[in-house]
Amino acid sequence: MSNRPRIILYSLVGLSVVISFFPIVWLVLTSLKNTAGIYSWPVQYWPDPLTFQNYWSIFTETPELLRYVLNSFIVGVGCTILTLSVGGLAGYALSRLRMRFAGVMMVIILSVSMFPPIALLPALFQTFLNLGLLNSFTGLILAHTGLFLPYTVWMLASYFRTLPVEIEEAARLDGMGFLRIFFSIILPLSWPGFVATGLIVFIFSWNEFPLSLVLMTQDAMRTAPVGISLYPGEFAFPWETISTATVIAIIPVLVITAIFQKQILGGLTAGSGK
Amino acid sequence: MANVSLQQIGKSYGGSVAVEAFNLEIRDGEFLVLLGPSGCGKSTTLRMIAGLESITTGDLLIGDTRMNNVDPKNRGVAMVFQNYALYPHKTVSENMGMALKLQKMPKADIEERIAGVADMLGLTDYLERKPGSLSGGQRQRVAIGRAIVRTPEVFLFDEPLSNLDAKLRVKMRMELQELHDRLGVTSVYVTHDQVEAMTLADRIVIMDGGVIAQVGTPREVYDKPATEFVAGFIGSPAMNFMTMQLASDGSWSSTESTLVLPELPGFDTRGADTVRVGIRPEHMTILDASAVGDDPWVLPGKVMLAELLGADALLTLSVCGEIMTARVNGVGYPEQGQQLAVRLNPEQLHAFDRESKKALQV
Repeated sequence: MSNRPRIILYSLVGLSVVISFFPIVWLVLTSLKNTAGIYSWPVQYWPDPLTFQNYWSIFTETPELLRYVLNSFIVGVGCTILTLSVGGLAGYALSRLRMRFAGVMMVIILSVSMFPPIALLPALFQTFLNLGLLNSFTGLILAHTGLFLPYTVWMLASYFRTLPVEIEEAARLDGMGFLRIFFSIILPLSWPGFVATGLIVFIFSWNEFPLSLVLMTQDAMRTAPVGISLYPGEFAFPWETISTATVIAIIPVLVITAIFQKQILGGLTAGSGK
Repeated sequence: MANVSLQQIGKSYGGSVAVEAFNLEIRDGEFLVLLGPSGCGKSTTLRMIAGLESITTGDLLIGDTRMNNVDPKNRGVAMVFQNYALYPHKTVSENMGMALKLQKMPKADIEERIAGVADMLGLTDYLERKPGSLSGGQRQRVAIGRAIVRTPEVFLFDEPLSNLDAKLRVKMRMELQELHDRLGVTSVYVTHDQVEAMTLADRIVIMDGGVIAQVGTPREVYDKPATEFVAGFIGSPAMNFMTMQLASDGSWSSTESTLVLPELPGFDTRGADTVRVGIRPEHMTILDASAVGDDPWVLPGKVMLAELLGADALLTLSVCGEIMTARVNGVGYPEQGQQLAVRLNPEQLHAFDRESKKALQV
């Protein structure tokens, strides 16, 4: 057999890697250029001079950009923990407790997630205003949790369904109640599912724009995507600051993904059954 | 230890009935096997005893206590599952000790019990391992150990050997037998494998379509099947069946071939003129073609197919046009296409009512 299909396959993979990575590479390169380098013509590919001045400036001159990243981190972590707790229990109940109308409830949950977030905004804003939840982490965490919960319930419910039900039955015979089964059997066995879902929810929350824009009106409470996009002034467009702030905003997501990626790959159910 | 009493037990899901009017007294210390094809309700019955399935109608008694609404953990039962159902993230020792730990038994006592059972099952060296690093046979032994450690009143087995390869299955089957002889705990064992049923059971319950077809010792269900279903299900290869019609001279002739039997010895046909007659492949004697003549039970036949199994061979025969299977010695059996004579041993014939499918009494 010829190698041609394989060559085509690898070329396509290479092409998609280049296409998806180019903006990020360009972003990193831009953050390492000085202002003259960014605007020079013909285009400067490799930063000359290569400088870390922009990173230094962020810390010294515009620390509010770091504040945005911290806000995003707080909201992302809070939202992930809350979503996984509620979604995990709901998903377990809906997939395993033989409840009446479980199927109907799953469909309702899914249909809720089909509303575009922007459609929810007027009502949500008014409600949050009345409840005093505007410009609070609690508020945005709740809003994001509501937004990503349907996805989480579906992901985790389908993960739970892959676990052999006999393990839970054995646990019932051993004398465990449903909550105990969830925490000491289901949770450890679904760890990869929780990590994968949690990562995606974290990234969703990190990137979420419309709700974060409207519910966090004070500058000090803005999240990274909102804060960075609103940063450009009326006349100037400080690309070096924006790209540097964006690189800094990407780093936490990269680090978290790197830490948990092994957990996603390692299946834990090996050995329970055949 | 306890007896188990199932009184008019029934299970239905919505409109469909899975088990109907199941009546059975399981004696203290008995090894009872529920046998039947898939979907016959045997697993559902076992799961109702375990408490994993609710009971729609009837009463379940373990010892003298009605257990219908008792939580599984309080029924004094332990179950071994087909796919072992071990906790993969816990060690063998933790798996075995879980129930006792939840009962808040002192740690030292738990360890002592585990050590005893592990010794009995040859698991002592594996106690600190996780199930993932064990072989299939070892895992099933851990699952059995987990059941023994609890010292239950009743053991429930749900096809525990089905996931093992053929050789290991035979070995584990013998171990289960030894274990039952030693512990003497009432056991209910579900399987679709008739060899397991025949070898392990004190009594076999054969189920068909949610109802009991027959309850009896292995000997009884083989020798005196109560229905045509049991007759066809027990024994491998399956019994040969013929539809026979009474002729005016008192002989019986097949409706599908030219096969004629002189009489149906001793069967009370209750005046019916059409019955189902069965004979097992191992109850047919193969003779030389020239033997056809005086003995009306010797019929001419031809070998359609000969298959060697090893010690035995299976012959697919056309006997007067009736297709039948015979089991013969694996050495020197007739070849394909050969003409021969077959003697159907009259004392080993079975006869069944055509409508009710029940065995006709002798």
